[in-house]
Amino acid sequence: MAHLSVENVTKRYGDTVAVDDVSFEARPGRILGLLGPNGAGKTSTIRMITYIMVPDAGTIRFDGQSVGPWSQQRMGYLPEERGLYKRLRVKEQLVYLGTLKGLSRAEAADRADHWLGRFDATEWADLETKELSKGMQQKVQFIATLLHDPSLLIFDEPFSGLDPINADLLRDIILELRRDDRTILFASHRMEQVEQLCDDICLMAQGDVVLQGPLREVKEQFGQNTLVLEFDGDDAFIDELEAEGRVRVHSRSAHRAELHLTDGTEARPVLDRALDRTDALYRYERVAPPLNEIFVEVVGEAEAERLRDPTPAAER
Amino acid sequence: MSVQKIWLILRSEFWRRVRSTAFLLATVLVPIGFVALGAAPALFGYLAGQTSQHTIAIVDETGRLADSLGADAGEQLTFRPTDAPEDSVRAAVRAGRYDGYLHLPASLLGGTGEATYFSTEGGGLSLRAQLDTRVNGTVRARRLEAAGASDTVRSIVGSDVSLATRKLSAEGTTADSSLAYTAIGYAMAFIIYLAVLFYGQFVMQGVIEEKSNRVVEIIVSSVRPFELLMGKVLGIGAMGLAQMLTWAAVGLGGSAAVGPLLVLFFDPSDLGAPEGASAAAMQEAAGVTIPTIPLDLVVWFLLFFLGGFLLYAALFAAVGSAVEQQQDAQSLLIPVMTPLILPILFLIFVIEAPNATASVVLSMVPFFSPILMVLRAAITSVPVWQIVVSFALLIATFVGTIWVAGRVYRVGILSYGKTPSLREIVRWATYE
Repeated sequence: MAHLSVENVTKRYGDTVAVDDVSFEARPGRILGLLGPNGAGKTSTIRMITYIMVPDAGTIRFDGQSVGPWSQQRMGYLPEERGLYKRLRVKEQLVYLGTLKGLSRAEAADRADHWLGRFDATEWADLETKELSKGMQQKVQFIATLLHDPSLLIFDEPFSGLDPINADLLRDIILELRRDDRTILFASHRMEQVEQLCDDICLMAQGDVVLQGPLREVKEQFGQNTLVLEFDGDDAFIDELEAEGRVRVHSRSAHRAELHLTDGTEARPVLDRALDRTDALYRYERVAPPLNEIFVEVVGEAEAERLRDPTPAAER
Repeated sequence: MSVQKIWLILRSEFWRRVRSTAFLLATVLVPIGFVALGAAPALFGYLAGQTSQHTIAIVDETGRLADSLGADAGEQLTFRPTDAPEDSVRAAVRAGRYDGYLHLPASLLGGTGEATYFSTEGGGLSLRAQLDTRVNGTVRARRLEAAGASDTVRSIVGSDVSLATRKLSAEGTTADSSLAYTAIGYAMAFIIYLAVLFYGQFVMQGVIEEKSNRVVEIIVSSVRPFELLMGKVLGIGAMGLAQMLTWAAVGLGGSAAVGPLLVLFFDPSDLGAPEGASAAAMQEAAGVTIPTIPLDLVVWFLLFFLGGFLLYAALFAAVGSAVEQQQDAQSLLIPVMTPLILPILFLIFVIEAPNATASVVLSMVPFFSPILMVLRAAITSVPVWQIVVSFALLIATFVGTIWVAGRVYRVGILSYGKTPSLREIVRWATYE
């Protein structure tokens, strides 16, 4: 099935480099999480993959062939900022969008019926789109992304605005598409969703890929440098450890703390201190850092790098 | 470029609009509005004539005019000669017993005096005209009589000289005048101006709507931006054409109905036509001449309308792609609106000298030709080569314009945030 490879792609807008020599791959049957802070170049990268824009340098291949109008027909793209024609009826809208993807009207109509049924939305078919709530419109947009049976799917923040029930339905369908051996690109800020869904990640910052690989390997790379503590009693020892520069606090509440062991710190002294100072210690676990921490750390480093080297991106 | 995709977009854009209530209302209401606008003055005049009966006192110091004026009063005027002193007549007018009084000084017959009408209110144009005609006619007749003019002289002075105009063409002389063709040319020029303006703004609105509700990103992940632009422009153009053809059909039907309607409501002899005259003859006798619009003029009108629409629609679309709401478009529209409005300023000049070199040149300029060439084609015989060259230039300019507009559009539809300056928009066209 569809194999997507982005090879040394660069995109400039005037003097700004939005995407700077980026390469990564997405494989069938896997979900690739495309992560990065705002302005990292995710949207520009996605727009080049979907052939909305063309790169200034580099190539994007889909099944070994450069992307173009032909590949648009095999891709489904749900943008982060998305909308529909307000005055078209739901089914008419789906059929129109389907025919633009190369379906015949009859085919598009059949599939629209099928998916509306799947989303429990058959009775909306003849409503004007503007009559639908935001969540309902989002389902219609999701259907439009799937209607032409694409082999590459690109979802940019697909869960935003969905209630938990519909978010679950959407997650099920995304996993189903993955089982069908489709290639899925998932762009998000929500690290817990990425951790739940993705097989691989690609983290971008300042137009560069700063970290990529299978999710598990990426996490291992960061080692088991995180401690999770659950306890009762005085937690002043955490402040002391932090003051001594042995740990950094990821998160902390009255009875729970996630601590990052700073370089060179052994885990043992932290355990000793905790046993010594708390009334009871229920949990002491050494784990890989949560993705969120990796994200903050790597992006923070990239940012610091940029500050150390004040040459603007365009001249590098 | 996929023609099939353009066709899909064209069809959707067309039907989406044509079936809307707004479109149906406009299609029905505009002709009604035009008829109402045309009929209003006549209607108001008729109503005014119906309601205003004027009773006018005559203070006749000549002693010889009141009687004949009274005999010639017509239906709406009643003249009351009076011997009362002017002061008391004035009081009577103020009291409302008369609508006004006419003062005819003794010197009037001698040729130096001036008749004066006094009333509490102006009385309106039609009353003034009626009084003027009657006083003039009566005084002139008395002066001629006093000078001992013969009947022959009197009838010469009283007669009207009319001027008829005939148009010379290859087929001989045809009835009717350049006046009617000037009116047609003027109307066609204005219709093209308004249609390009309105339908062009439709295109801009459509682009802005698509961009601001963010559906555009989904569409351009399926079709090329240029295909979307072309489909939209052509779809709205087709809508405009459908609307104008509907109006044209209504107009033709309406004018075809004039003759038969006259037959229904009038006796031929009322109109001075022979008994049993045909509808067409009656129409002519009634003075309702609807000049036939030559077919080639109609064809040029449609072609230049389409060419002009396409040219300006491309520009409107480019401007629309750069903004997120209509208000932000104002300053960017100046370079689009200026060449559209300029030919309207030249209309009078071209009507007065349709074959002057300046007129010929202006009607060749692509941004002006949809308005000015059609105007010239209506009012004068324009050599075919001129029309063809003008149209070819228009289409060539359109091709260049839509190419540039497409490049701007492609960047514009995906750019959000600050409204760009004109300079930035021009730079977009150079992006890879």
